[in-house]
Amino acid sequence: MEYILEAKQLRKEYQDKVALKGLDLQISAGEIFCLLGQNGAGKSTTINLFLGFIQPSSGAAYINGYEVASNVTQVKEYLAYIPENVMLYPNLTGMENLALFSSLAGFDYSKEELMHYLVQAGLPADAVSRRVGGYSKGMRQKVGIAIAVAKHAKVLLLDEPTSGLDPKASNEFSELLLNLSQQGTAIFMATHDIFRSKEVGTRIGIMREGELVDVQPAANLNANELENLYLNYMHVAR
Amino acid sequence: MIKSIAKKEFISTLRDRRFMALSIIVLLLLLAATVVGLHSYNTLQAERDAAQQTVNDQFANSEDRHPHRMAHYGSYAFRPKSSISFLDFGMDSYTGASVFMEAHKQNSANFSQAQQSSSLIRFGEMTVAFVLQMLIPLLIIFLCFGAFTQEKETGTLKILLSQGVSLRQVAWAKVAGYSKVVALVVAPAMLLASALLFGKGGFDLSGDVLVRLLLFIGSYLVYFFIFIVLSVVVSALHQRSSTALVMLLGIWILCCVIIPKASANLGATLYTTPTKAQMDADVHEEVAKGIDGHGSGQDERTEALKQELFKKYKVSSIEKLPVNFDGIRMAAGEEHSTQVYQEHFDELTDIFRKQNRISEYASFLNPYLAVRHLSMGMAGADFDHYVHFQNEAEQYRYNLAQGLNNIQTTRLKYGDKETRLSSDTWKEFQPFVYETPQAGWALTNHIVSFIALFMWLALVSLVGMQLIDKTKIA
Repeated sequence: MEYILEAKQLRKEYQDKVALKGLDLQISAGEIFCLLGQNGAGKSTTINLFLGFIQPSSGAAYINGYEVASNVTQVKEYLAYIPENVMLYPNLTGMENLALFSSLAGFDYSKEELMHYLVQAGLPADAVSRRVGGYSKGMRQKVGIAIAVAKHAKVLLLDEPTSGLDPKASNEFSELLLNLSQQGTAIFMATHDIFRSKEVGTRIGIMREGELVDVQPAANLNANELENLYLNYMHVAR
Repeated sequence: MIKSIAKKEFISTLRDRRFMALSIIVLLLLLAATVVGLHSYNTLQAERDAAQQTVNDQFANSEDRHPHRMAHYGSYAFRPKSSISFLDFGMDSYTGASVFMEAHKQNSANFSQAQQSSSLIRFGEMTVAFVLQMLIPLLIIFLCFGAFTQEKETGTLKILLSQGVSLRQVAWAKVAGYSKVVALVVAPAMLLASALLFGKGGFDLSGDVLVRLLLFIGSYLVYFFIFIVLSVVVSALHQRSSTALVMLLGIWILCCVIIPKASANLGATLYTTPTKAQMDADVHEEVAKGIDGHGSGQDERTEALKQELFKKYKVSSIEKLPVNFDGIRMAAGEEHSTQVYQEHFDELTDIFRKQNRISEYASFLNPYLAVRHLSMGMAGADFDHYVHFQNEAEQYRYNLAQGLNNIQTTRLKYGDKETRLSSDTWKEFQPFVYETPQAGWALTNHIVSFIALFMWLALVSLVGMQLIDKTKIA
């Protein structure tokens, strides 16, 4: 089976610590893989390796069959990335931000098309021409989603995207992810949010000290079971 | 890709009120410096033109005089201001504006603006060059210090790069965007200066002025580009905007304040200039070893000259010579004293040149010094242009003195101190006209700075971008 996103014995060492200990992972089209773990568990390192921002110490990351380390520019064609806090450019409007990032990905959209992507992502129509400096975090995250959607990326890499969002914005964000998943986008989401993982995830992985210690289909667990499993791995007393 | 990011940087900057306020202040300073420089140029040039015309008229219409009295009456050479010097006063404010040209003596230029101004001039003048050399780099630093650090701090760099853009493309795009912003600040002043230069009378307009202006503007464009690339590279190498800003301000202080002072002090320490009193004493001592034009004619050197003439004209007494021995003795004395003065002047000039060379070579450490030398050179306000004027004035003085000695030799009899020649005689002498040397000459004098400026351009563009490739993203 051809995986959109794959890691084979992916390892990252820094001078004084091992950030990722031989990760093996396969994610297919339309799948939402949620990676839970504490700060410093290796979630962001994994995303940075898939993005090609850091080089693996050993092993390899693959996007759409291409090894990331040796095809850094090429693999960017297939992926989109949304960080924890999408800041964008505060002096540009939402539409200008989207136009900029889309043009960098090779898409030259009309104003109507840009508007369509932004509204589809949940941004109010009257906000698209306002400067992003005045947006809430939720609104910025929606522009981030619009950037990803407008790129027609096969893989979406999310680094704690719902952190700091209010419940309504978080819920809207989840709906957007489910829509993208239904359209065939593979989503890899690093998060602390157990409830949101259970809600949107196809599979849920738990990472501890650079090691993927467990992977469960989301359908096999309810929210409480998932929380207990997670806390067990984190060695926190119930 | 580069075009999109460059456009974003340009638009973002234009929408940044703090930066726009700063830019408007710098632009107003630049425009004010241009207008003030032009006013100063017009005033000084008009004064010098009028003064030169007056002394020329006075010389040509001088009353009936003995030719040697006329040689002592002398004339003045007023140094005309170079057309572009209203943009960069260079050394003009400190070097003299006029030279008194008389027999037997090589006077230095006097009446500099600094001599005639209060001590406030020591704080420097608000010239276009000052704004371009010192303030625009500061503006560039405030514009570019966050080029990469802000992207890192906000996380937008990762989003940018995830779109398939390379770090180098982002860097060049930012350089392009910031260059456009800087052009927006500098271009109005440069256009105003060009319009004033070519659109208004009173300037010595020629192809050479155009070449000088283009080289002047070109040098600054390269200088700004170096600062923009340098600022972007420094920003890329830091994780925080505050540390990038501190680093860039440190570089600015080093380039614009410390190295120029240090190189000037080093030059003055390594190559000491003699005091004026010492130089005058040395000249006086050596001149005394030659023929004294005013002497009694009893010394050995005068006797040897006399015997040489007797032999040449096959005569046995001064009275039988077909030429006036007084005039010949004057000419011989003038030749000797001029040679002595010129040797000492050349030695002194050589010391100053060696001092300046330290500063020129320091251009390899500092692009500010490179552009400063080139700017002064193109504006015709550097040391070389000053020496060129001094030499031209000296050449004229020598020819004038020897021309009058020749009149004494050929038209007056030996021992005749009473005859007075009419003003028609003085009209035979062409007035002093100074031609500023060509731009190529000025560029040759500053070839070290020219090479240094382009070395900096290559250094920041090639090495800087290689460093950016290694920037930590995560």
